[in-house]
Amino acid sequence: MYPIVLLSVLGIVVLFLGFMKSKSVLLPATLLFLVLALASNFIDWNQGKVLYFYEMLAVNNLTLAFNAIVLVSAFMIVAMTRGFQDQEEAQPAEYYGIMLFSLVGAFMIIGYEHLIMLFVGIEILSVSMYILTGSDKSNLRSNEAALKYFLMGAFATGIMLFGIALLYGATGSFNLTDIQSYVSIQGRGVSYILYAGLLLLLIGMLFKVSAAPFHFWTPDVYDGAPTIFTTFMSTIVKTAGFAAIFRLLSHSFTPIYSFWWITLAAITVLTLLVGNIIAVYQNSFKRMLAYSSISHAGYLLIAVTSLSPQTENAILFYSLAYSIATISAFGVLMLVSKKKALEGQVDESYAAFNGLAAQNPLLAFVLAVSMLSLAGIPLTAGFWGKFFVFGSAVERGLVWMLVVAVLMSAVGIYYYFRAIIAAYLKEGDIGKIRIAPFYRIILVVATAMTILFGLAPGIFEKLL
Amino acid sequence: MCIGSALFILLTRNLMYAAFALFVALLGVAALYVLAGADFLAVTQLMIYVGGILVLLIFGIMLTQTPERQEATASNRVEVLSGRRFWGFLASVAVFCLLLFTLLGSRFRLGGDTLTSRSTLRTLGVELMTSHLLPFEIAGVLLLVALIGAAYLALNRNPSA
Repeated sequence: MYPIVLLSVLGIVVLFLGFMKSKSVLLPATLLFLVLALASNFIDWNQGKVLYFYEMLAVNNLTLAFNAIVLVSAFMIVAMTRGFQDQEEAQPAEYYGIMLFSLVGAFMIIGYEHLIMLFVGIEILSVSMYILTGSDKSNLRSNEAALKYFLMGAFATGIMLFGIALLYGATGSFNLTDIQSYVSIQGRGVSYILYAGLLLLLIGMLFKVSAAPFHFWTPDVYDGAPTIFTTFMSTIVKTAGFAAIFRLLSHSFTPIYSFWWITLAAITVLTLLVGNIIAVYQNSFKRMLAYSSISHAGYLLIAVTSLSPQTENAILFYSLAYSIATISAFGVLMLVSKKKALEGQVDESYAAFNGLAAQNPLLAFVLAVSMLSLAGIPLTAGFWGKFFVFGSAVERGLVWMLVVAVLMSAVGIYYYFRAIIAAYLKEGDIGKIRIAPFYRIILVVATAMTILFGLAPGIFEKLL
Repeated sequence: MCIGSALFILLTRNLMYAAFALFVALLGVAALYVLAGADFLAVTQLMIYVGGILVLLIFGIMLTQTPERQEATASNRVEVLSGRRFWGFLASVAVFCLLLFTLLGSRFRLGGDTLTSRSTLRTLGVELMTSHLLPFEIAGVLLLVALIGAAYLALNRNPSA
């Protein structure tokens, strides 16, 4: 609860700081605000389930842990922006302000107890993302991506709202607990309108996390947006979106599990297939990461579909592992692509990494670890993430889905290793890349976390 | 009347006619709100949509229509791959039938005491300031973000470009 209030106010403070002559105060101020929000997040720790603001918002250890993941990812991403010093047209105050506000949206959809909160939160998150996607105004691809994202996102929101309205019509309440008691009393006898509402609501939410039949915007938007905001989108929006879907399904709709699991299972398998197979054909590393984010949405959906007692842990760990690995992968990409930039056109293909290891052993190592983690190779956090997800699927007995998932992660190894091969085995003329000290620290910390959680995943479990 | 004018908006090629049809459609929706007992919503609909947004829309159309480009009445087709038209049509008809089936197959319950009270305005105000305070306030953040974004995207910082 506290981070929501805090960041709403501090976002405005950041905007006002933007009026000052010196832009250099913005980055430390934003980082400080994020740390403050993280600290305030833990005030509610271990209090059990607490409801705030007339049952608008629920807080328990799970939502706090999700909040913490989002805040840590945001901290790393903001640190990697380096105050947008190298871009003349950039407006750091606006960017940071919008980023902080979008975090408010993320917290709302992580801990909502009322469907109106879900709607407002998703809107804050998406509107911020539309703006950040189009923030590079001189770049045609960025503009195209923003417009595409906006139009499709607006339709998805409309569908979601329709779903919420139908749910209200069926149950007479927006409150998740009320809906849950209605559904459990009625059992299988609930009216069709509830089913339709749930489906439409799920479609809207699955769109936001780019699950398969609703994934068409993802590659173009991730590709077109400035890389730093792509990182923001692919980590924070995804973590928060899955927290929201999990909350909805595990809290309100467990009594009609037999109805929605088939739909979700079909979407999961489709997401896995589409994400992994199309990723193989990509030549651009950034676009590959976009498809890889679709496929990771598929793995997370396995956990949601199986909905066993292990699920919440699995989703939590997986989103953490995925976020850290993605942030470091994009971090390396940003440095390399800027170095290889030709006439202002950045090079984001696999070939940009050719010969990276020769002069920049650190960057190559960071890239390799993040790729291994995304591919789910043992000794990295990604392996345990997949392990927990698959474990929850086994508990539910979804073996056939597991077979698809394992096959698809084998496919994933191919395209993730292409980057490693380019960095270590191919010849290239990439020079020494200068890394700012703070940037280096963030990359090293992210890599260290990936390996630490890979060696000892138990640390994390004990924390909860 | 509402559905008819909505269909007219879809089918007409003249932007101006479409705007006037939208006027009828919005009035129809307001009337539906009155019949459903949502008096505040109906008044808001009239004031904001019919009174504000529609006038803005018509002004927009009038100001942007230049004399040399009389294309408002011309065909304005979006080019799409024709191969998808059949399946797209089929899918949308299927979804429509599904929703229609759902809506017809269910009975709507009316929340008992809302109809008995004379005006919803009082309860609405009280609710907004008590139980729905947080979304009400946070909606401000949403509007702020949208405002900053609109200003940022619309502003041209480089006059030479």
